[in-house]
Amino acid sequence: MRGATETSSPARGGRPRRNRADTQAGYAFLTPWLLGFGLLTAGPMLMSLYLAFTDYNLFRAPTFVGLDNFAALVSDPRFLKSAQVTAVYVVVGVPVKLAAALAVAVLLNARHRGQGAYRSMFYAPSLIGASVSVAIVWRAMFIDDGVADRIQQLLGFPAGGWVGDPGMTMPMMILLAVWQFGAPMVIFLAGLKQIPAELHEAAAVDGAGPVRRFVSVTIPMLSPVLFFNLLLETIGAFQVFSSAYIISGGTGGPADSTLFYTFYLYLKGFTEFRMGYASAMAWVLVIVVGVITAVLFRTSRAWVHYTGDVR
Amino acid sequence: MVRTRTTSRTRTAAVQVTALAAASALALSACGGGSTASAEAAPVATDRDIQLSLVWWGDDDRAGRYEEAVALFEEKYPNIDVQTQFQAWDDYWTARSTEAAGQTLPDVFQMDLAYIHQYASNNQLLDLSNQLGVNLDAEGYDDGLLASGAVNDGQYGIPTSTNTLGMIVHHDILDELGVEAPEEGLTWDEYDAWVREVSEAGADAEPRVYGGTDYTGTLWLFIQWLLQQGKTAFNDDGTPAFAEEDLVAWVERTQPLRDDGVFYPVERTKQVEPLTGLQVNEAATEMTWDNMTAGYSANAGTENVDLLPVPTGAEGSSQFWKPSMLLSASSTTEEPDAAAALIDFLVNDPEVGEIFGTSKGVPAVAEQRDAMGVEEGSIDDKIVGYEDHVAERVTAETPLPGEGYGVVEAEFKRLGEELAYGNITAEEFADQWFASAEANLGGA
Repeated sequence: MRGATETSSPARGGRPRRNRADTQAGYAFLTPWLLGFGLLTAGPMLMSLYLAFTDYNLFRAPTFVGLDNFAALVSDPRFLKSAQVTAVYVVVGVPVKLAAALAVAVLLNARHRGQGAYRSMFYAPSLIGASVSVAIVWRAMFIDDGVADRIQQLLGFPAGGWVGDPGMTMPMMILLAVWQFGAPMVIFLAGLKQIPAELHEAAAVDGAGPVRRFVSVTIPMLSPVLFFNLLLETIGAFQVFSSAYIISGGTGGPADSTLFYTFYLYLKGFTEFRMGYASAMAWVLVIVVGVITAVLFRTSRAWVHYTGDVR
Repeated sequence: MVRTRTTSRTRTAAVQVTALAAASALALSACGGGSTASAEAAPVATDRDIQLSLVWWGDDDRAGRYEEAVALFEEKYPNIDVQTQFQAWDDYWTARSTEAAGQTLPDVFQMDLAYIHQYASNNQLLDLSNQLGVNLDAEGYDDGLLASGAVNDGQYGIPTSTNTLGMIVHHDILDELGVEAPEEGLTWDEYDAWVREVSEAGADAEPRVYGGTDYTGTLWLFIQWLLQQGKTAFNDDGTPAFAEEDLVAWVERTQPLRDDGVFYPVERTKQVEPLTGLQVNEAATEMTWDNMTAGYSANAGTENVDLLPVPTGAEGSSQFWKPSMLLSASSTTEEPDAAAALIDFLVNDPEVGEIFGTSKGVPAVAEQRDAMGVEEGSIDDKIVGYEDHVAERVTAETPLPGEGYGVVEAEFKRLGEELAYGNITAEEFADQWFASAEANLGGA
């Protein structure tokens, strides 16, 4: 009894012995993670921060060049192109994907027979969507005489695959992203389940129709979840890489139309061996994503409502 | 025996991106290393177990051939165990550059002319000069060819085989259209006119066929064209020896064909990648390295193809031999003698010549060429026959690409694509390429 009281009341008389031992054991158990974090994440990040200010080609020792890499970025037309391509992908792709995820979540929230099966089916693309094989299939669907081309012809649109047309590759990439709506959908679905039925009932009694109830009850109640999904998807969209790599055959083509930011970073680092330049690009991305996240948090005060908030 | 296969390019790419920072970290501590030329070469030891690593780029077909050759080598040197690994071209160089940074390059690996300067001048490669005549026999080599593996007085690579540029002609397509194959010795303008004729004849075919693919974005063909005008491609320090006007002229001379849709369309090219117009039976001719003929023929599903010399200019053909690949050893190898013996075996042994045939190009050494036993009329026979036939047209020295060539070659190709989409002018092409050359060539 006494012993238990002693250890459970650390406030009395400095730090008891047992507690320090606990702390040590805690760190000991944390060691694998700390090692991984230090060696594989924090260390390399610090190193890349240093490399961003150097000229480094993997073969020769890095030479310090100050802000030259960052200055060169501004006047590099392909860098600007890659920033533009990525911006379009984020600004168009993320809202469309979230809208699709929300729409499906609302449909699946209604009570139907076999609902569980539907949920699994709609989630399936997200499990396989990021894989190499799907990117290959996607490419095959959008070439001349592929599925997309056939549908276009049926509907009377001009024929032609999307893969070779620089104007159509971005819609193709966005469709691939939208199709993988599963993760935000599941989160939306969980959010929808949390909305108390009384609110809907009360609104219905007051004469609100389904649309009005969606806009005035569902959306505000769902706003924390919406905010969470928006953050996650935005950050994810900035980092799109592998699907673009496969679909463009490792070139970012045609005509740089799929030259995503991370992809150009990869080209600079690993085909031109400009590691300093690539590191500078990586840090610019970190800063941009950080600023955008901060801005989203700022604006969230205006539109995200947490239950229990008094405003 | 370790065999790492790279079946997914993305997966490795992603892994390598995450490895970027880690590799850089390693690199820092390892930098400035790179041993100098090895000590005295001695005959390879037979009294202890030796392990060697051997890495190449290529496909499954090549892997099978290498495995066979390695088995023979291990039979000859029972105390040596060779571990092999291979990747596709792009991943290959990514992996090698990361290894170079970490001083862990394989003992023996395939090398390309576009990269040998970069690796040699950064002390990554073993100078094989003192192995010549000890473990490595280069007696069967043409001096000029052997020199293509030399950098700054050191022998850093041994060419395994040669190739030269040529024009692959798809006879099935031409027969169907009823158009005669191009004559040998056409000028570039005459060839362009011929391409136009075929494309017009093929306009109503289903699928539509074309006379040729746009060759403007191939840096080696531009170099060939320069040589034919008596100009040189690169200075000794690797910087361009030609003027922007030369490049503008090269791009402008094919502009009418692009404007009129005569070339195989770029939209199709992008869709059939990594194949090309000829390989999907939609283009009648294509200029490339002659050893590509075997692959082209296999993909097109016909042996009814031929090789012709490239078009000629004022100075005639001025064709040149280029080593299709070289073998190099790492400067950090612990077994320089055994590494040299492995290279020697791969380039000289007649049985190895028989195993590889012309799949890596025509073997550089006569014993291997003779051992191939090519069947008359086969693709191998056509390639060997072509190299015999054009020998008299080979009058130029191999233009040796310097450090950074691989990068500017890729940029040339990319600009060719932009050009085909009509996004840039000839002046912009030249302007942007020279900017890239300035940033990457001449040890910049």
